[in-house]
Amino acid sequence: MLDSLGQLGSAFAGFMNPHTLFNVIWATFLGIVIGALPGLTATMGVALLTTLTFSMPHNEAIMVLICIYVGAIYGGSRSAILLNIPGTPASAASTLDGYPLARKGMAGRAMGISTSGSWLGTLFGILCLALLTPVLSEFALRFQSFEFFWIAVFGVVVAGTLAGGDPLKGYLAGFFGLWIATIGQEPYYNYQRYAFGFTDLAGGIGLLPALVGAYGVAEVLQAMRGPAVKAVVNKIDSIVPRIEDVLKYWRTIFRSGAIGVWIGILPGLGEDAAAWSSYAAARRASKEKDQFGKGSIEGLMAAETGEAASVPGAIIPVLTLALPGSAPAAVLMAAMMIHGLNPGPNLMLESPQFFYQIIAMLVIADMSKLIFGFILVRPLIKILLVPRERLMPVVFVLCVVGSFAITSRVFDIYVMLVFGLIGFVMRELKFNMAPLILGLVLGDLLEKNLTRGLVLSDGSLLPFFTRPVCAVLAALTIVSIVWSIPGVSERVRSLFRRPAAAGDKH
Amino acid sequence: MDNTEELLPHEQPAPPRTDLWIASVFFIFGATAAWLALAMPRYADQKGEIYTAPGLVPGFYGIVIVLLSIWLGVRAIRQGALHARAEGPSATKPHDSVDLKLAIAAGLGLLFIVGLLGRMPFWLSSAIFVAAFTSTFEWQSGQPWPLRARRIGEAMLLGLTTGVCVMLVFEKVFYVRLP
Repeated sequence: MLDSLGQLGSAFAGFMNPHTLFNVIWATFLGIVIGALPGLTATMGVALLTTLTFSMPHNEAIMVLICIYVGAIYGGSRSAILLNIPGTPASAASTLDGYPLARKGMAGRAMGISTSGSWLGTLFGILCLALLTPVLSEFALRFQSFEFFWIAVFGVVVAGTLAGGDPLKGYLAGFFGLWIATIGQEPYYNYQRYAFGFTDLAGGIGLLPALVGAYGVAEVLQAMRGPAVKAVVNKIDSIVPRIEDVLKYWRTIFRSGAIGVWIGILPGLGEDAAAWSSYAAARRASKEKDQFGKGSIEGLMAAETGEAASVPGAIIPVLTLALPGSAPAAVLMAAMMIHGLNPGPNLMLESPQFFYQIIAMLVIADMSKLIFGFILVRPLIKILLVPRERLMPVVFVLCVVGSFAITSRVFDIYVMLVFGLIGFVMRELKFNMAPLILGLVLGDLLEKNLTRGLVLSDGSLLPFFTRPVCAVLAALTIVSIVWSIPGVSERVRSLFRRPAAAGDKH
Repeated sequence: MDNTEELLPHEQPAPPRTDLWIASVFFIFGATAAWLALAMPRYADQKGEIYTAPGLVPGFYGIVIVLLSIWLGVRAIRQGALHARAEGPSATKPHDSVDLKLAIAAGLGLLFIVGLLGRMPFWLSSAIFVAAFTSTFEWQSGQPWPLRARRIGEAMLLGLTTGVCVMLVFEKVFYVRLP
């Protein structure tokens, strides 16, 4: 215990120098601006900044990316409250009550609530990360290829089932992503799959260019079709959070924090699912249900706390299983690999100090976000009103740089373009992108572990279903698929529903 | 309306006929992927086992995509995709001006990558792209020329600033290679 505290103290001390603090300041500021601007997302921000931080030492680079991630998820609430437009998908729930509060002349109070909820949510998530990561890592050390195969399958299937929208399209997107990951040289015989003689295709599809395309270029196209934004709030009251708001809704904060962490851990769901789930749970449990949607302090607090808690939550499976809990976490994982870190159960063995550094990074980013939450009000209103005709071409240029810089291949720019088109078209056709991205991220893990497992078992599929953890994961995967079949979930729920007694009222 | 039940944009269902088209495209794609995978070598002469064959995993994915597309297609047909007026709740008429904006944005981006990148220094190509993009979208018919000239001037300034700043920040400060 003392040793752990010592290592944590050492991690904090390592970041307390002017150079690192300067990086924290500009990265958090940039993250909040990225999150606040409609059309820019946390995923895009983390992906673009991965390029920028390529030449930095790994702990500095990851610190910058975490500040961007934490700032961007928080920043979305600003445009949600002031413009009634969520800056990121995660802030969509915040528009329901944040904007009505602003219309009532309480924009400052709304921002104070979002700042305090977000700060507390991230702290709660960090506590869970600190407690759960060592336990999960220890458990995951016993995993072999068979378990990792099912983790990858489970990740893609659950993302398709739970990410929202049509599960069938989610599975299609997931398997499409898995297929894309097979393009290029396969690991056993170096055979060039689907390369058709092109050397660039033989090198495979880069994860970062694909992410920049799907979440950057696609968003640029989406933003160009939307109407111009107008600030409808000019007067800002006091933004200092009220202690009585926090004390009155402490149960909501804890509940939303727990929901946020749990949803963050589940692969592919992301911060928007955490915000909506926390909001819905708060509404169900609230004594002020009628206020929800009309300017409920509790509703706004729940949404912000849930989405903020999901940020550390999404990092937990990255560190322990190399399984991203959200799209920005997927980019963060890619960045860790680029910097020579090996996310997964061996991370705690190979780089134990990195775990403490991650905790320190998240705490520092959270504190920085809190400070900016107080001071970044009026300047942000001006930034929010930058016309998209001027902002989007700059973002596109950054996307081009971001996709080129890691491997210096012009081919990656074309990959970005193609994935931008795919991302845009798929969104128009009501596909969720999370399963596609997760398929792309997990494809390599799935195939390598499937093949390795079959080699170990001499071609037998039995260990894939009889090992205890494999059996549980296989069952969960099958249940997820069956649950998504229309009618099945309603029939199961009806078995557990009490029959209505005579005289019961709704 | 219960706001917590409100569907996000991607959750709103597509019209059944659109789903049928999607199913068809994915069916063709999956079948092609599986067929190409089956044609891949198995390295039996090198004592390769079937489970290490290069085409096993992508072929499996192709088959799953075919099956999922059949499921989607059958579902779409059950929802009336083959009927004359098969429109779902989210069917909306496309807006011509929005589609034009999209086409112009996509076209300018493509021109930037294919036409400008690599033919001149990056700062210059990005400056031209940003200036052209901004000028195009801020162009309004009937605008007086002094205002129009000012907008074009601002666009050129924005383009130049973007090009120079990106070059300075990425190349000189962070040592990142630019295209």
